[in-house]
Amino acid sequence: MSSLLAAFVEGVRHLRRHPLRAALAALTCAVAIAVTVNVVSLSYGMDEDIRRDIARFGRLTIDVGRAPVVRPGAPRASFGEAELATVRATVAGLDATVVPLRSERVTASGDAEVRQMVLAAVGVGFPRTLAISLKAGRFLRPEDRGLAACVLDESSAKSLFPGVAPAAVVGRTVRLARAAPADVPVVGVLEDPMTYRALFEAFDEGRGARTLISALLSFRNVYVPEDAIASAELTTVSVVLPDEARLATAYDRLVKVWPAGGVDADPATLAPINVFARKAWMDAFGGATQTGAFLGNIVWILVCLVACVMISTLNLVAIRERYDELAIRRCEGARRRDVVAQVAAEGLVTSVVGGLAGLPLGVLGADVLARIVMFPFRFDARFAGVAVLVSVVLGLLSSAIPARRAAALDPAAVLSRRLS
Amino acid sequence: MTAPLLKLSRVARTYRNGDVLVEALKPVDLEVDAGTCVAVTGPSGSGKSTLLHVLGCLDRATSGTYLLDGRDVTTLADRDLAAVRNRLIGFVFQRFHLLRDETAERNVELPLLYAGVRRAERRRRAAAALEAVGLSSRAAHVPGRLSGGEQQRVAIARALVKEPRLLLADEPTGNLDSASGDAVLAMLDALHARGVTVVLITHDPEVAAHGSRQLTIRNGVVAEVHATAPGA
Ligand SMILES: Nc1ncnc2c1ncn2[C@@H]1O[C@H](COP(=O)(O)OP(=O)(O)O)[C@@H](O)[C@H]1O
Ligand SMILES: [Mg+2]
Repeated sequence: MSSLLAAFVEGVRHLRRHPLRAALAALTCAVAIAVTVNVVSLSYGMDEDIRRDIARFGRLTIDVGRAPVVRPGAPRASFGEAELATVRATVAGLDATVVPLRSERVTASGDAEVRQMVLAAVGVGFPRTLAISLKAGRFLRPEDRGLAACVLDESSAKSLFPGVAPAAVVGRTVRLARAAPADVPVVGVLEDPMTYRALFEAFDEGRGARTLISALLSFRNVYVPEDAIASAELTTVSVVLPDEARLATAYDRLVKVWPAGGVDADPATLAPINVFARKAWMDAFGGATQTGAFLGNIVWILVCLVACVMISTLNLVAIRERYDELAIRRCEGARRRDVVAQVAAEGLVTSVVGGLAGLPLGVLGADVLARIVMFPFRFDARFAGVAVLVSVVLGLLSSAIPARRAAALDPAAVLSRRLS
Repeated sequence: MTAPLLKLSRVARTYRNGDVLVEALKPVDLEVDAGTCVAVTGPSGSGKSTLLHVLGCLDRATSGTYLLDGRDVTTLADRDLAAVRNRLIGFVFQRFHLLRDETAERNVELPLLYAGVRRAERRRRAAAALEAVGLSSRAAHVPGRLSGGEQQRVAIARALVKEPRLLLADEPTGNLDSASGDAVLAMLDALHARGVTVVLITHDPEVAAHGSRQLTIRNGVVAEVHATAPGA
């Protein structure tokens, strides 16, 4: 045992005496670990954050709206009070919350002016269509009428009142540049429904709820009471059910009224109105993030394998130059396993040192990358463990072949110069 | 007399060079008593080193049995052979075979390292061994900064530090000028005088004269030249 330890120490001494080779191996390992940490924290962060975002999206909500894809030449479907009444009648008895939404584009200003905001006139049950909460203040109440009050989502609040905390935005006034300009007091700030808009937009399937999703994703909403927009046209009607069983019942009933259409339906039979269950979309998206994580794992495993082959080759070349040294050690009493321990120690120490150097590199890289591509990124203390573990495995794997070569060496042949 | 330190029965070593079998050492019966200094002479390629490697448990006999201090080493596992080399046998080679990156002192410590001796004890014993070969002042030098004679003395110190029963020297003076060679031989003589069994390989008859017993090898066949009384 103590001689194994001695062999280990010999390995470390050897590295100190060949710093260039050690540095090269460590650097290769550092790059591999950096990539691993980078990919793992990005895909883990993506997985985690997107799951949270998905969870906020309102699993028990059904959206009914004008179909985004319609039969060519078909007249624009009517979607207004009559359809709202139909929805209410269809889900009656299911303890559903029905939330109509009308919207229009508006230029708003607080401390700053923001163009192309979405003025969304919503029912008081709106927050229930999403699993989000208030950041500050309160949501709209039945007694709020017309443009007497508005609620902003967090991003809206930030762009209208840069540098002001959500709580301090409550009580401020937003000026809406409509035909008749209106000054509307802010009564509350809602949490942003989603963090990673770009990703969600990429997966927006556009089945009926596109309008609503796009509106939400724009982060530029000014929510006002239901009667604040006089238009007869509705953008969407959202229905929130209390549980999955009633969600299924409501969906079945609604698609009987408006048969499921969508992009893959026969254009001749496309329904002008689309019924969209968010649950289906959420499940599909959840699968997609898993695919992302899977691809991420393939990337870092490949990078580590390439690093392993490189370090292995490096060590193997070094072993050839060390036949004399190893033969002398064997001659003086080193067992095969002492030689293996020494070579493994060299590999292990270089890769763990490299791994520890690569860890902050990877975190930094992931952070920078996350900012650039607006990807979620999460660093977890466990990743340090993963990095050390991966570098240990890398060290052992990359010294396996060199160690075998070293152990197989015939000291007599080397010492009498029959091998070199 | 007690049992011989070395007892070889029909020990042979055959190398395979592709399809050709080279009988480097033809079956040999040999007994060497403890305390003997055996000089082995023979032309180049006759099998001297092969014999030495087999005796030193650095190489295995292809056939036959080899008893070292009464123990059959032909059947030992790698780690037991390593222990035998580590504790019983000192080696001195023509080309010194020192670790070129390590100081003289660390080179001498090497066998103790694999014997699991603690660091302080290793240093103490290495210092004593270097002192015995007159190289205390060179302890911190790497081999490249030592003369050939000094390097060979370091190698002897490395053998000494094991307090070996058997010392195997393969042309120890082959790379040295005559003064350094004489110094090295004097050290081997001193070891022999202290009761260490020495096998000294050489092609120099003058060097061979240091042996208390003379063997020759020709084409892998070992033969006795003449015997003198032990200790002569
Ligand atoms: N590892 C080996 N592989 C193949 N042939 C070898 C090996 N070692 C020695 N030989 C052969 O065995 C013979 C004896 O070699 P060796 O013992 O080194 O001779 P010496 O030391 O007397 O010069 C030579 O013919 C040599 O070529
Ligand atoms: Mg030879």
